[in-house]
Amino acid sequence: MNDFATILVVDDEPGILSSCEVALTRSGHKVDTASSAEEAVTRIRQEKYDAIVTDLKMPRLSGMDLLRIVKEEKPETDVIMITGYGTIQTAVEAMKLGAFDYISKPFTPNELRSVVTRAIERRRLTREERAKARRTRVAFEYVMPDDLYYLPEHSWARMITEDVAEAGIDDVFQKTIGVVNRIELPSIGAEVEQGSTFAQVYGAGGKVYKLWSPVGGRVVEVNNLLTEDSSVLNTDPYRKGWIVRIQSSDLRKDLANLIDGDALIHWWVKREIVERKTSKYVKVNVLDPEFKHDIAKEPGGENIKVCFACGICTASCPIREIDSRYNPRKIIRMALLGMKERVIGSDFIWLCSSCYICTERCPQGVKFTEVINAIKNIAVKEGHVHPSFVAQMDILAKNSRLYPIDDFDNRKRESLGLPKLSTGEGSAGEICRASGLLDIVKRKN
Amino acid sequence: MRYALFLGCTAPTKSRNYELATREVARALGIELVDLPDFECCGFPLKSVHHESHLLMAARNLMVAEREELDVCVLCSACTGTLTEVNRQLAHNDVLREQVVSKLGGGKGEYVFGSAIAVKHVVRILHYGCHYLRPSEIYDDCEDPEDPHSLDELIEVTGAKSVRYSERERCCGAGVLAIDEEIALSLAQKKLEDVRSSGAHAMVLMCPFCGVMYDENQARIEARSDATYNLPVLYYPQLLGIALGIDPKSLGFRLNRVKADKFLERVI
Repeated sequence: MNDFATILVVDDEPGILSSCEVALTRSGHKVDTASSAEEAVTRIRQEKYDAIVTDLKMPRLSGMDLLRIVKEEKPETDVIMITGYGTIQTAVEAMKLGAFDYISKPFTPNELRSVVTRAIERRRLTREERAKARRTRVAFEYVMPDDLYYLPEHSWARMITEDVAEAGIDDVFQKTIGVVNRIELPSIGAEVEQGSTFAQVYGAGGKVYKLWSPVGGRVVEVNNLLTEDSSVLNTDPYRKGWIVRIQSSDLRKDLANLIDGDALIHWWVKREIVERKTSKYVKVNVLDPEFKHDIAKEPGGENIKVCFACGICTASCPIREIDSRYNPRKIIRMALLGMKERVIGSDFIWLCSSCYICTERCPQGVKFTEVINAIKNIAVKEGHVHPSFVAQMDILAKNSRLYPIDDFDNRKRESLGLPKLSTGEGSAGEICRASGLLDIVKRKN
Repeated sequence: MRYALFLGCTAPTKSRNYELATREVARALGIELVDLPDFECCGFPLKSVHHESHLLMAARNLMVAEREELDVCVLCSACTGTLTEVNRQLAHNDVLREQVVSKLGGGKGEYVFGSAIAVKHVVRILHYGCHYLRPSEIYDDCEDPEDPHSLDELIEVTGAKSVRYSERERCCGAGVLAIDEEIALSLAQKKLEDVRSSGAHAMVLMCPFCGVMYDENQARIEARSDATYNLPVLYYPQLLGIALGIDPKSLGFRLNRVKADKFLERVI
């Protein structure tokens, strides 16, 4: 699927069928139509479609039946459900069965185009990241904290009290919409249903994305930080990027309709098997919200939290040009999200050449060279140290120089008319012993 | 003028031509360079893995210079950056300074750092400014790190022409050589390609780390890609020494890995 896709639209209402066809054709997509699920089944067995946009409620075979057939026979095809009033619960269920997303009637051509664009973007990202994973042996990951409940690939809910939940967007959703330019929040006191729109975000090119509420109830608080700085949705979608707090009349019932974090990995694994993919691209991990604070406490790491993910560091990095494993923007983002073990246990943090170009160009004064040093200092304290540094520290402690000087070197220096240099341990060994560095190296060895 | 000469780890073992030329040029210009046997590694290699050890090692060297009441002349850009940064930090942070001095066996108020000793790259002593001044915030009198010009001016006062080429500020890759040789050599090769395209007769450096990449490793870079550069790599004091009429033999040219004979025939 490139920027344009081959799409099958399925609806028993000719008016909706025709308006969807016009909207998507105008965006450059190749569009076929089917007026029933049965006709759609015949078509998908003859043609290859990137996406199917289908009504949920149709006579005889329903959109849900069609979804099951598509996921069985053509699992790589994205299915987008069209729902009407009163069918939102079924749409939530459809997403658990593997539907990519849904749009709620009535919808505008732009809303339809936005959700299709997001499907295209997700496929592109997955394809690129898989190719990269093959090259670099680094698995593609979406981050899914395990203490949340998910409307998969869309939004999340976190229980605050017995009847209040916090809601936001998940990592898949934020990655597929790209940079968020603006968010429209609901008013306090607004009533939302589970699966209905609770906010909308504006991405690049004026694209509008509706956000489905993971729980129903009354909005009791909105995150005004997002109206001042919507980029928080990109940098910290699970903590600072919460969108609303909702008081629910039956929170436990709503949460039961979602997938909880512990079960999410199994949901993804099942999808991986169903879609016959070979590489793992989702990892559920326990995030450490303290990681960014720990980095900020290290010398040089103080400014990590002011990063707004503009990417100048990555665009300027000479190492990144050569090896895509080293991506400063991504490393900061992972650190801000709390992916501590993934970051400090990685090979890529050791690839910085300390050229300081990122530091010079960062408009926020993050000083990424110093931040990566802070991260490496934490890594070393926790036993992750690159073997080449172990060797360097060993040499340094024994000789007080990175390149030892011996009698042969001194004879050579004398023959050139250069003064002799001191040989032997010097004071570096004592300094490294007193500071605890040698103990770390010994443990590593 | 009198300075303590800080050689660091790389120059005395990998770039003795740089050291030789520096000593010759300093002599010719009436600058006395004093060798202090207590100088050791500046601490730069430890900054990314153990901040405290890095700080102590840098501070110890600065204390050696302060005891001798000598400003420090440094050959290596990484050493210059480390010593300058730590000198500044300790001068402005009383608590940290006393902790560090105490850990290194010094008494309360015994060392002041900062204004007590100046840390200068050798090129800054010979003229003004330095080509590589990142991070710029640690230097008091830095030039624009995105458009540096001091090395061009220093080259042109010798009578040579400084050639501008694309990506002049690109890193040499030495910082990652021990971690991933492939990345480091690829970075160095990009620069060699750019310099060759500019039609320059030689590269002029002021850092032994860069010398390891462009001079010592040039043959390896050629071998891995079937390219031929044969580009002489000079340390700035070597070029200045020629301009001052010093015999190239005294400037360590025979230690240059990429032979500079044709270049010397052209300029002498």
